[in-house]
Amino acid sequence: ENLNETSSSKNPQLAMSGRRYDGRTTTFSPEGRLYQVEYAMECISHAGACTGILTKDGVVLAAEKKVQSKLLDQEHNGAPSDVSSEKMFKIDDHIAVSVAGLTSDANILINHARIVAQQHTFTFQEPMPVEQLIQTMCDLKQVYTQYGGQRPFGVSFLYAGWDPHCGFQLYHSDPSGNYNAWKATAIGGANDATTISLLKQEYKEDLTIDDAILLAIKVLSKSLDTTTLTPEKLEFSVLKPGQQATEAKFHILTPKEVTEYLDRAKAIREKEEAQKKKEEEEKGKK
Amino acid sequence: MSILEYNGSGVVAMCGKNCVAIASDMRYGVQQTTVATDMHKVYKMHDKVYIGMAGLATDMQTLVQRFRFRLKMYELREERKIKPNVFANLVSSMLYQKRFGPYFVEPVIAGLGDKNKPFICAMDLIGAPVYTDNFLVSGTSSEELYGVCEAMYRPNLEPDDLFETVSQCLQAAVDRDCLAGWGAEVYVICPDRVIHKTLKSRQD
Repeated sequence: ENLNETSSSKNPQLAMSGRRYDGRTTTFSPEGRLYQVEYAMECISHAGACTGILTKDGVVLAAEKKVQSKLLDQEHNGAPSDVSSEKMFKIDDHIAVSVAGLTSDANILINHARIVAQQHTFTFQEPMPVEQLIQTMCDLKQVYTQYGGQRPFGVSFLYAGWDPHCGFQLYHSDPSGNYNAWKATAIGGANDATTISLLKQEYKEDLTIDDAILLAIKVLSKSLDTTTLTPEKLEFSVLKPGQQATEAKFHILTPKEVTEYLDRAKAIREKEEAQKKKEEEEKGKK
Repeated sequence: MSILEYNGSGVVAMCGKNCVAIASDMRYGVQQTTVATDMHKVYKMHDKVYIGMAGLATDMQTLVQRFRFRLKMYELREERKIKPNVFANLVSSMLYQKRFGPYFVEPVIAGLGDKNKPFICAMDLIGAPVYTDNFLVSGTSSEELYGVCEAMYRPNLEPDDLFETVSQCLQAAVDRDCLAGWGAEVYVICPDRVIHKTLKSRQD
């Protein structure tokens, strides 16, 4: 995230010296930067925002839909999917991702992740540990920053996962092949730094999935700078415990479910605003 | 001794009225020695597709793991469950890939397809499929199974009658085979439920 502040689009002087060293991904600049990787991250900032929040009983992923149109046949003749949507994709029963960046690049990586997860299950007859999957994805992304002269993948992922070793987990990976585990984070969109600072203030360890969805709505509405949120603009998914203790279940919220949460968030916000107004009036009286 | 007779098995599938049944014995043997009596030879791929495999136990187990891999990928990409006839083609394809070093199994597939239409299919070890609307058999007891099924089978049996017929056929056939038996399990797949029963059988 801090790399964005010194990227060439915001600092014209650096842009000039960058030009000589940005042609090949495998070349460092004199300042020790890989421009192609930074340009990839720039590409991601143009994509729809994604937020992820970890709770003790599940992981919530929320995303801003960039392609909004009544003509979109999103629900495939009215049958909602728990496998994929515009921004969310299931990798295995216990791992899902949300995407920020070039969806075409994302599809390649997601397909690869799905195969890798199944290969692990085939060999070890148990689900792949979440961090291991992310490591293989990141190792693949890293290859494109060191070999071959091909551009890096223009995608960042938020991974939501569960395994019996570490419970519920949330990770973020970027085009450089670097990853971190997070309690709450945001990627994509022009305001992910703002979203992250909001999350820092509002995140609590003991949130429930319900609270987390409402929190995600709150921070997304601030970063998207709009109060008129609809299911056409936003997508939510949850990874929560499955039928058995050793299972997890991924669910992409239907438009009806999203509307319910949006209405609840709106009611809470209006209540808070009314409360605030009342306090200010009393202050003014004094 | 043929490698297909190393472990011993009897598998049968039958079509009924809006239902299919698939059944197998439960013996796990190493030639003449019986090692276990709780070996499953019929595996659920999903609610409406089951596969039973006769032949070499290790190949059966490996193939089940490979099928689960392929089905997981199918469900992730297609976002739906595989149809039994499509699954049968997948099995055939996977077996033929090993044409010159095959898996020593002879699978029997049973399921409900489009509009819950009953579907059964059996294959040889290199994937040659056979489709019928009555019954199919496989294993060391296949010849015995052909005889009893031919005699006892009637079309359009209701689930409970189909269960009885399949159970009697399987038990009678494996009782004549020293390499199969030691328990039996039956699945009757209906549009709304699956009846799964283990049969009390001769333990010899």
